[in-house]
Amino acid sequence: MGIFTQSVAVECAQDGTPHRLRWNGRDYALAERPVRWYERRRWWAEEHRAEKGRGAGLVDHEIWRLQVRLARAGNAPLQTVDVAHHLDSGRWRLIRIHGGVCLPLVATA
Amino acid sequence: MTETAEPFAHLQVASAFSAHYGASWPAELVAAAAADGQRLLACTDRDGLYGMAKHVSACRQHGIAPIVGVDLAVTWADLPPGERPGTQEPGADAGRVVILARGGCGGSGYAALCRVVSAAHARTTGGAGGGAPVITVAELAAAAAGPVPTAADPKNPPTPELFVLVGPDSDVGRHLARRRWNAGLQALRRWKAALPARSLHVNAVSHLSAPGRRCDTGHAVKMVRAAAQVRVPAVLTNAVRYAAPDGAATADVLDAVRALSALDGAHDLQPNGQGWLKPTAAMRRIAAEVADAADIRPAALLAATQALAEACAVDPAEDLGWGRPRVPEAAVVGIEGDPARVLRERTLAGVADRYPDLFTGTAFAATAAGRELEERVEHELGIISRLGFSGYFLTVAEVVRMIEGRGVRVAARGSGASSLVNHALRISHVDPMAQGLLMERFLSDDRSTLPDIDIDVESARRHEVYRALFERFGQQRTTLMSMQNAYRARGAVRDAGLALGMPDPEVDAVAKQLWRFSASHFRDALERMPELRGFAERLESGRREGSRQLDLLVDLTERLDRLPRHISMHPCGVILGDASLLKRTPVQPSGLGLPMSQFDKHDMDPMGMLKLDVLGVRMQSAIAYALQEVARTTGEQVDLEQVPLDDPATYEMIRTTHTLGCFQIESPGQRELIGKLAPERFEDLIVDISLFRPGPMQSDMVRPFLEQRHGWAPAHYPHPDLVPVLAETHGVTVFHEQVLRTFDVMTGCGLAKADELRRLIGSDAETRVEEFFRSRALSRGYSLDVIDEVWATLHAFGSFGFCKAHGAAFAVPTYHSAWLKTHHPEAFMAAILEHDPGMYPARLMIAEARRMGIPVLPVDVNRSSDHVRVEWVPDHPELGLPPRDGGHGGTPETLFPTTAPASAGGPAGGGEAAVVGEPPVPGPSAQEASAQGASAQGASGQGASAQGASRGPGRWGIRLPMSALSGLSEAEVRRLVDGRPYMSLADVRDRARPTARNLERLAQLGALDCLLPPGGASRTDLVHHLEMQHSAGYGSGPGRLATTSRKARPRQVDGQLSLDLPDVELQSLTPMFPSPRNADRVRTELDLTALDVTAHLMDSHAPYLEALGVTKAERLLSLRSQSRVLVAGVRVATQTPPMRSGRRVVFVSVDDGTGCVDTSFFTEAQHASGEMLFSSRLLLIEGTVRRTGAKAVSVQAVRAWDLHRPETLPDPDYLDSTRDAWARWLRADREAARRRAAERDGVLVGARAHPGRLPEVPHHATGHWPVKADVGRVARDLDVALAGARAGGELPWPVRRSDDRAVPVPHPDTWELLPTPDG
Repeated sequence: MGIFTQSVAVECAQDGTPHRLRWNGRDYALAERPVRWYERRRWWAEEHRAEKGRGAGLVDHEIWRLQVRLARAGNAPLQTVDVAHHLDSGRWRLIRIHGGVCLPLVATA
Repeated sequence: MTETAEPFAHLQVASAFSAHYGASWPAELVAAAAADGQRLLACTDRDGLYGMAKHVSACRQHGIAPIVGVDLAVTWADLPPGERPGTQEPGADAGRVVILARGGCGGSGYAALCRVVSAAHARTTGGAGGGAPVITVAELAAAAAGPVPTAADPKNPPTPELFVLVGPDSDVGRHLARRRWNAGLQALRRWKAALPARSLHVNAVSHLSAPGRRCDTGHAVKMVRAAAQVRVPAVLTNAVRYAAPDGAATADVLDAVRALSALDGAHDLQPNGQGWLKPTAAMRRIAAEVADAADIRPAALLAATQALAEACAVDPAEDLGWGRPRVPEAAVVGIEGDPARVLRERTLAGVADRYPDLFTGTAFAATAAGRELEERVEHELGIISRLGFSGYFLTVAEVVRMIEGRGVRVAARGSGASSLVNHALRISHVDPMAQGLLMERFLSDDRSTLPDIDIDVESARRHEVYRALFERFGQQRTTLMSMQNAYRARGAVRDAGLALGMPDPEVDAVAKQLWRFSASHFRDALERMPELRGFAERLESGRREGSRQLDLLVDLTERLDRLPRHISMHPCGVILGDASLLKRTPVQPSGLGLPMSQFDKHDMDPMGMLKLDVLGVRMQSAIAYALQEVARTTGEQVDLEQVPLDDPATYEMIRTTHTLGCFQIESPGQRELIGKLAPERFEDLIVDISLFRPGPMQSDMVRPFLEQRHGWAPAHYPHPDLVPVLAETHGVTVFHEQVLRTFDVMTGCGLAKADELRRLIGSDAETRVEEFFRSRALSRGYSLDVIDEVWATLHAFGSFGFCKAHGAAFAVPTYHSAWLKTHHPEAFMAAILEHDPGMYPARLMIAEARRMGIPVLPVDVNRSSDHVRVEWVPDHPELGLPPRDGGHGGTPETLFPTTAPASAGGPAGGGEAAVVGEPPVPGPSAQEASAQGASAQGASGQGASAQGASRGPGRWGIRLPMSALSGLSEAEVRRLVDGRPYMSLADVRDRARPTARNLERLAQLGALDCLLPPGGASRTDLVHHLEMQHSAGYGSGPGRLATTSRKARPRQVDGQLSLDLPDVELQSLTPMFPSPRNADRVRTELDLTALDVTAHLMDSHAPYLEALGVTKAERLLSLRSQSRVLVAGVRVATQTPPMRSGRRVVFVSVDDGTGCVDTSFFTEAQHASGEMLFSSRLLLIEGTVRRTGAKAVSVQAVRAWDLHRPETLPDPDYLDSTRDAWARWLRADREAARRRAAERDGVLVGARAHPGRLPEVPHHATGHWPVKADVGRVARDLDVALAGARAGGELPWPVRRSDDRAVPVPHPDTWELLPTPDG
């Protein structure tokens, strides 16, 4: 599992759920329903300002765990990636690639 | 499906009133819900219903159905009511649950909620460290049990009164979070078994946190599954703590502060920032995610939530008694029959008492005055009975009767004085007929809320009065009101610094500079205020180095500002209700031990609560004490009510402006106004008090008023019709009452409507008032010019002028205090020192007493009691002539020979001196006489008449109490007082048992001088003696002279018999040292008592100041206006009132022993004086004399020096050597003044930048004029704050002002802003 950040393009459905990912010039399609959560940030150490009215994206990031495969190769292996959605800028960054063959994730019970 | 079409209803919402938890105000939360189209919204604050009333208010505004509840800690332990959980048995902790009241049931659900909250708080004691509220499951279940089907009403469904939501913070939730599935199920079953049917609900919360973290979706899924298994309905909430995502950072900071840790180390932080009031769409999506994973339909989760919300929707009127005032039952007040009839009877009886000439008790006099009185009585009784407030008036009358019955001084303040009924019922002592006060200003048919009747009582007996009220009306009908203590600048910056993990000293340094700012404008202040320049620079340099902490500090401080921190007892609010009171408000213990409501003053009217303001006023205590001292010393019983309000001597005293100590007229600004206004009658005092407010200042009433009063300008009336209205104030509108009459005269609207119009001035609806006024006045034939002029006055008057009734109510204690100061100066000054009612330090009052020629007698173990006492001082050559030089050796030990041994051997006084306050006793020894005198005094005034009867020539003085010596414990003071008289040192040691250190301090202060043998050892010898004994006692090595002394005088053995013999121990002391010099005495006195008694603090600087040519305060009036002058003194007051210009002007008053000098520092002088302007204690000030009235004089400062920094002080030839520089300065200053005047008149608009001109310092709080404020409230709060601040440690609540804004206490200089008027 590698951890890094890299800008990616994500296409979303109307309700904000990602359904396509463009990464390194290639298109990926979602193979499973994505899982979303909000992960806390240590904003007091990472930010310069926290003025009133500063909301979404300051205290947490929206993270999506996506199981994707290359859009044009139906039998390509599944890959699991975590992408962060920066709500203030609207940008997406790839933050984790889970190595090996991933089993479809269920909502961790 | 219809259920899912419903908008979501949030059932768990903490508002900002959940201290250190919620981050949004109820209004913000409700507005957010309304914006999303939600129809129902709960408010479930932690531990109480603190935000409930505000929530319901906001809901009503937005058309949302309110739900009320609480988030409370629960225990399984079986505790009796009121008992605290000890070391909790394992498994007893049930965590926190949300409890919602059933709605639409006539208040039974809400009553049960109040009962639960009060029971939880019964396990705490007031104040910090009083424990956390907790309810037992058994109590909760009992309160939740609802009606059951009965024979009479078989269809009555079994509905619980309370619904309990077991969520993530409950024991069930915790088990499931730790993957203890079976334990969780078991706990849930236990809940189900314990609570009445249908009460229990499972509360599923998903904050969409990372899988495995608190409040992740998985946890909500488990909760839902458990609910299904145990067959309990599950609802979905978002455990809301803030209205929008931007509150998340604030909540983080609150989490850290609650745990007293830095954000970095806090382990209890919310998992992420998702606890906001999410819209329906987002909540549906969460429901879908949870339901999907739990294999249920999302609709079921949402439907259960909706069903519960509807069951809990509260009808404010039916369930909470919204807006319907409830007063104690007639029988409790002592009324038989119709309250309206009883009120009429009592009012008429009272009128006969108050106006014996106009009403005999059966018939009114046939004069115009008699008819007027009769009409007024009928008018007021009509209004009161139509509004149904008869019971209320009788209740207040009963309260006043009860307080008077205890011998406590009591008086109504505020608009209550407008009412004749109040006057007749002895609630108010102002005669509304004589003063032309209007009932409509207080109450009219158009006002349906209970009018406030505020009552002042003696502050020292306030708590006694509260307890008596609880006793009189019963525990179930009485509770104290509470108030919210919110974050203010200093606390906010401290806690923000804590959260950021900044070092304490650094945060402290910032916090100390912050007292003058509102934290919410911190960043703004950084740019404007010179005091913060250092901090701003550090911020800037930090930024350059990439440090972000200070920027964050500013942001977080602004976020915390004004958030509630805790509640405490309101300083004066007492709630009276009927037997249902405790079903309508939860209560918790106050610091006083008495219960207090969780509602604050804003909640009173909506919650239908009758609140009495029973305010402790120190001046009332001081007046009572003065009367008591007069009676004790002279036997004269003064009834102030019988004292005529037109005593010429009193007004003469007031006109001298020597009004220090007098109620309301002692401040520097007021003394100047008094000097200009020169009051001659009681009405003048009312005007004076009313003028000294922002309203009159803003509408420029004061100058025209003074000009017309003194006949310098003819009175001007906009229209002859207004002459009767405005004549009393020479054509200037000063009072609310005049505004009402003006409206009435010019529009014919009637006084009740006029008061409504007056209230709208200054609000958004003012244009409607203007329209109404103009059209009606025009139609009644007034010319446009008249209408324009009158409207301009009404508009400027705004809503914050002054109610004459209020001014009149204030003027009574003002007059009484001035009367006492004039006719019983010793008793009055003793009372002022005893109760400290004013704004000045006690040492200024000592200086004032000395200025008045009243001897101030030092602490003396045989003469002092635990109170400041008036004492007879026999004639003595030195009386009134304080020795300028320190007495050495042979001179008397004290300023006045009040001690038997000293005077017996002294050069004068002889027999007279030996019998202070006692008939001559030809006793064998002077000591005995002294002892008897002291014992008579110790018997607290029983020998009073005897004392007065046979005193020889002399005069009354003031004896300082034992308690003046700081550091004496209460027990020591009591023993010292009880043990009097003392014959010897051994006697003091033996019976009073002070600590060795305190015995030394008593000796240093001269309190043991009375035990010294005449002509023998001096005070210094005694102090040395005691010090050596002390050090020997501790065995702390060889002292300087220790060996010989110790041999000579073996240490006293504890319990050694004190024989009735001359003091052997002191007799055998070898006199070695001279008595301390006066300067040393003064220093010791200041160190030990903070009072300079022997001489004035400034006396030691006299030689230098005389050489320099410094002018004394008493001589200032003899100088010409504009003269150059040097003054010096001890700082007694510093004020920066808001100014019309928005610039800051600093007023510093100093006392030099001959009186107060009031100085003003404008921009240039502030820059020239620098930091010492706020910090130094002894000041030398150069400036020009400003005469503003016959007796009004002040100094406009040019620069100031700190007398404690000799190296900076000017040389003695300063005035001569700088004559030329002064002339140049004067020219430049006048030029600047002209320029400014021109600028103000608009001549030089645009030409603002003058080279070399110093930057203006904006006022810290306003920065602009006018300051709009609720004057009555501010004045009240100020008094409260002052009263609180004086009481020091005994107060159960922390001293604070209830508002961040500077209290607008304007200075008369606001209408004369010129540095030097051209002349």
